[in-house]
Amino acid sequence: MGDKTITNLKLYAAKSRRNVLRMIQAGGCGHIGGAFSCIDIITALYFYKMNIDPANPKKPDRDRFLLSAGHKCMAQYGVLAERGFFDKKILDTYGKLNSKLPGHPDMHKLNGVEGNTGALGHGLSLACGMALGLRSRGSDSTVYVVMGDGELAEGSNWEAAAAAAHHNIENLVAFVDKNGLQISGKTSDIMNFEPLDKRFEAFGWNVMEVDGNDMEQIIELMDRLPLKNGKPTLVVANTVKAKGLSLGEGKVAYHYWKPSKEELETVIRETEEIIHHLESTVKEVS
Amino acid sequence: MEKIDPRKAFGKAVSEIAEKNKNIVILSADSGGSSGFGEFSKAHPERYFEFGIMEQGVVGIASGLATTGKVPVFCAIAPFVTARPFEMLRNDCGYMKQNVKIVGRNGGITYSDLGATHHSLEDYAIMRMIPGMVVLAPQDPSEIIAASKAMLEYNGPVYMRIGNEPQEVFLQERQFEIGKGQVLCEGSDMAIISTGLMTAKAVKAAEKLREQGIAVQVVGMPTISPVDREIIVEAARKTGRIITVEEHYTEGGLGSIVTEVCSEEFPVPVKRLGIPKVYATSGPYEEILSFYGLDVAGIVKAVRESLSGMEYGNG
Repeated sequence: MGDKTITNLKLYAAKSRRNVLRMIQAGGCGHIGGAFSCIDIITALYFYKMNIDPANPKKPDRDRFLLSAGHKCMAQYGVLAERGFFDKKILDTYGKLNSKLPGHPDMHKLNGVEGNTGALGHGLSLACGMALGLRSRGSDSTVYVVMGDGELAEGSNWEAAAAAAHHNIENLVAFVDKNGLQISGKTSDIMNFEPLDKRFEAFGWNVMEVDGNDMEQIIELMDRLPLKNGKPTLVVANTVKAKGLSLGEGKVAYHYWKPSKEELETVIRETEEIIHHLESTVKEVS
Repeated sequence: MEKIDPRKAFGKAVSEIAEKNKNIVILSADSGGSSGFGEFSKAHPERYFEFGIMEQGVVGIASGLATTGKVPVFCAIAPFVTARPFEMLRNDCGYMKQNVKIVGRNGGITYSDLGATHHSLEDYAIMRMIPGMVVLAPQDPSEIIAASKAMLEYNGPVYMRIGNEPQEVFLQERQFEIGKGQVLCEGSDMAIISTGLMTAKAVKAAEKLREQGIAVQVVGMPTISPVDREIIVEAARKTGRIITVEEHYTEGGLGSIVTEVCSEEFPVPVKRLGIPKVYATSGPYEEILSFYGLDVAGIVKAVRESLSGMEYGNG
């Protein structure tokens, strides 16, 4: 793996975004809004934080990553491809018949995927079980899960939230990708879950907060995880929907995006400029 | 003959196997004690997880545990482990192909007087629609023990329905094989294909019919899915007329399965005995069964009517 400096991590995130655009190019459309809001966190997990090995994706003592909001899977695919879990040519099969990259992830099709999420409100229970199972067999692995903020209205999340605290599942870290928008509008208007921090604290969780699109803040936070104080940890990640997509940032219309050829060419060019700039910075530093 | 509580037979069987297989963990939704795991919970608290009344959460957690090599067994009241967490069963257990064992106790209408919220008359139908999900309905306490062993040896998701009422052992101790039915009574006038607790009644009905000069073949079918197609086709060929008997809606369960198989492979008339698609009434267990014709007399009557041509004209 390359260097773990902030600039390098920003570069991996930009390249992962470029991978997402390559998938959009292949399939013609996709859930880009949520993918781009959580991709910086997923990049930091795979390139900086987690004990994983692309050459040995099933090694028993690996950390686990689950994307509970499975519709954001292009973010995970983009990062997995960049991290070397699969050949980038597979990105060009997105949206095609029998692709290993379905619109919601399938663990039996792609190395690195740990669960078949997509129906919302499943990831936290699965993560609880994984963390409990790892703890029971004496492993010190951690389970990381990324949830959407709109997803929190699913009651099953709160079953899992209670269970994780009751059973002191400290090797569980859940991020809420709080981009504040869901299909029908603002999450706070559709079903308000504020104060989110107080709600999870009341359930018995550690609660932390981060700017989920600021790599420096993310890394600072990652260095503190997992807290190992007998409680599961929730990270409220304040993010921007479609972050990095200049024409769509913070706009609910970009929850699912079917770009014109010109739009796609524009954002690919912009993303490649960012990559070029970051690569130059990395070279200068080295 | 001594009657045995099916829940105790199940809990004891799983607990004994779990003494050897340390990967087995028991999950409870405030349901473990009533499922026969009281002693296990005291002997192995590190492998017994209580979650309170949250069946959706427990099924998801079970699948997560299974990804780490554990063999979770989750037993609670049948509708609460099938209908309520159906999407978790479909996606987390089925689609993820996890080695989770779901056991619905007090299945069918065995929670008789508690009413329709606590009955489970669609569990075979919905569980058999999950690709890869094995669906078992053992027919007496000895078969519950054998099926529990087979369930835990099998690597993949399994749903097993057991009852509540204490029941006599009527099947011989035998090897239980997932996906295999068994001819319990020989006869060529007609075939009864039965599952779960109804099989004991089907055998008694066959004995009564024999006294009346009617030789009925009884096929016990403790696996609902994957079903033993071969034994169904053999019964159709040999007898030319089938009655299915189950404590389930007549739609979607064993009756539908037998009809589907016969229709595709060897069409013969099939009469389905079960509960019509209504919210079943409440009351004492045996009385509800009689109300819907699911007693020995009801089975005898259905066979005689069918043979006399009342059901199918002169066909």
